[in-house]
Amino acid sequence: MGIEIKNIYKRFGSLTVVNGVSVDIADGEFFVMLGPSGCGKTTTLRMVAGLETASEGQIFINGRDMTHAEPRHRDIAMAFQDYGLYPNMTVFQNIEFPLKIRKLAPAERRRKVEETAGRLGISDYLGRKPAQMSGGQRQRVSLARALVRNPKVFLMDEPLSNLDAKLRAVMRTEIKKLVTDLGITTIYVTHDQIEAMSMADRIAVMRKGDMVQVAPPLQVYDRPATCFVADFIGSPPMNLFKAELANNGRVVCQVQGFGDALDDAERERARAMADRHGHFAVGIRPEHLQCVAAGTPGSVEGIVELVEPLGQTTNIYLLSGDTKYVVVTDRTSLRAGDTIGVIAPGDKVRAVGLDR
Amino acid sequence: MASQKPLLSRAVKLAAAYALALVATAFFAFPVFWMAGSSVKSELDISQYPPVWSFTPTFENYAKLASELDAFDAFVNSAVIVGLATTLAMVCGTMAAYALARFDVKGKEIIAFEVLSIRMLPPIVSVIPMFIIARALGIFDTYWLLAAAYGLAGLPFVVWVMRVFIQDIPQSIEEAAMIDGCSRFQTFWRVTLPLLLPGLAATMVIVFMFAWNEFLLASMLTSQNAKTLPVIAANAIKPKAIAWGLASAAGVVMSLPVVVLVLMMQRYLVRGLTLGAVKG
Ligand SMILES: Nc1ncnc2c1ncn2[C@@H]1O[C@H](COP(=O)(O)OP(=O)(O)O)[C@@H](O)[C@H]1O
Ligand SMILES: [Mg+2]
Repeated sequence: MGIEIKNIYKRFGSLTVVNGVSVDIADGEFFVMLGPSGCGKTTTLRMVAGLETASEGQIFINGRDMTHAEPRHRDIAMAFQDYGLYPNMTVFQNIEFPLKIRKLAPAERRRKVEETAGRLGISDYLGRKPAQMSGGQRQRVSLARALVRNPKVFLMDEPLSNLDAKLRAVMRTEIKKLVTDLGITTIYVTHDQIEAMSMADRIAVMRKGDMVQVAPPLQVYDRPATCFVADFIGSPPMNLFKAELANNGRVVCQVQGFGDALDDAERERARAMADRHGHFAVGIRPEHLQCVAAGTPGSVEGIVELVEPLGQTTNIYLLSGDTKYVVVTDRTSLRAGDTIGVIAPGDKVRAVGLDR
Repeated sequence: MASQKPLLSRAVKLAAAYALALVATAFFAFPVFWMAGSSVKSELDISQYPPVWSFTPTFENYAKLASELDAFDAFVNSAVIVGLATTLAMVCGTMAAYALARFDVKGKEIIAFEVLSIRMLPPIVSVIPMFIIARALGIFDTYWLLAAAYGLAGLPFVVWVMRVFIQDIPQSIEEAAMIDGCSRFQTFWRVTLPLLLPGLAATMVIVFMFAWNEFLLASMLTSQNAKTLPVIAANAIKPKAIAWGLASAAGVVMSLPVVVLVLMMQRYLVRGLTLGAVKG
């Protein structure tokens, strides 16, 4: 059940846009595909929708092979970035359209449209044309149109990216609640890590047509599989230090003190993920580094380059040797030019694989 | 006080704008007015110089048009031929334009260019071969010949213009329809077509007007049965003199369907002639 993607490829001429993606999405799961622009998220989603045919591989929806089925036979709904509303129809007619195509009786259609519109808070606008509505309202209409026929699967392609930040935050929670309450299997595409972190049951981080890591949000945050994931998630992103497994089993690190902080379990991981030259990276989240007095035993000496107070937290940009990194702390009296000690707690230091 | 001056100058500007619009309208409307006027003048009134402005209107020119020039038959011929041609060009052209706009057709730029190349041939060059071919096929002086000729002449225009109109419709609207349960054809019929109406109306009027007024092919490729209005209107120009009244009446009769069509389509035309009407 749910959605099963089996080793799909998409090529446009000689350009491979989706490069052998496989993933199982459980019934009722909220699955987010996250990645920078151009990494193949939309293309993958469109193959699930049937708007694009896979060059290779298979797609199963609720257990049935839908690889070559027309979109209308897949029992899916979709929300588009530009909403895709029918401009010549009223809001009511827009929401009613899928029911009309399915030849439901008019009374039944009216009841369902009104119920769905109520759920999305657009009951007052049913007589308007899309052009007379704001972006947020239009997106609600497009969600209503998608949900009115109780689809099994809901696909969303950056539905909030045309809205302002505040509205985005509101809609985010609303969408999540809506589809969770209805128990709809959802694939949600976004390039916004906050949306991904806050909404997803699982995140798939994509890069150049590959799913680099598929895991629950906190796991992606705590244990990024590659430097790309580590750098893409978190703000400011994870500090990454070049590291290498020496022949004697020691770890040689760009900032040796941080390399030394790796615990045994992470060293074991490092051995598994390092490339054939033994290269990998040591990753530490900025909020896990601790600032202490210079010269404290076990600390790395760092010079403060810049202090960036953000109110709730403060970013301190540091320089150790010729390596730059960031520490996030509470408010601080440190100033540029100060020399301090930095401690990396052993249980927070991660071995991170390099990107292929 | 301070607010009166701008108000005044705005009124002056508005008056000037109206005056200018009036002059422009008069400039373009005068020949039409003159033609309509001449068509109801008697032969005597029409030859007066300086022109007479008050006269007793007469419909003798229209009567002559029907009796001497077989205008009624020609009108029917024109209507059938142009109707067929316009339908043909619009239906085939729009479908071709849709394919070129939306599908992954191999070499579609080349196809689009090839379609246009029909129009690059001056009609005067192709009329003799067409005459010979029509004779060989036995369709000389029939509706089919002119309808096909006009349809083909209108086709490239329809393909090129409608392609732009179709490309202007966001693809996500059609994709939404397909996901909402429509087949390709239903999507076109229920979602795309209604959005194309302004473009279709504008294009149709232009294709219609071209075919309705076409003279060269009509005069060379017909002799008795399929004569169209422009051909018989030209007959008002006699070897010895021009029958102004008759010519004017023919002009009025020819213009009427175009005027009616434009009035009918006006609602769409205004939007259709300004591309990109469906955004928003
Ligand atoms: N129809 C197409 N023809 C050629 N290239 C395409 C087509 N659609 C998408 N691409 C390319 O595929 C890549 C991935 O696109 P897309 O899936 O839209 O990325 P994303 O949604 O992650 O930003 C891009 O480089 C894009 O240019
Ligand atoms: Mg995209």
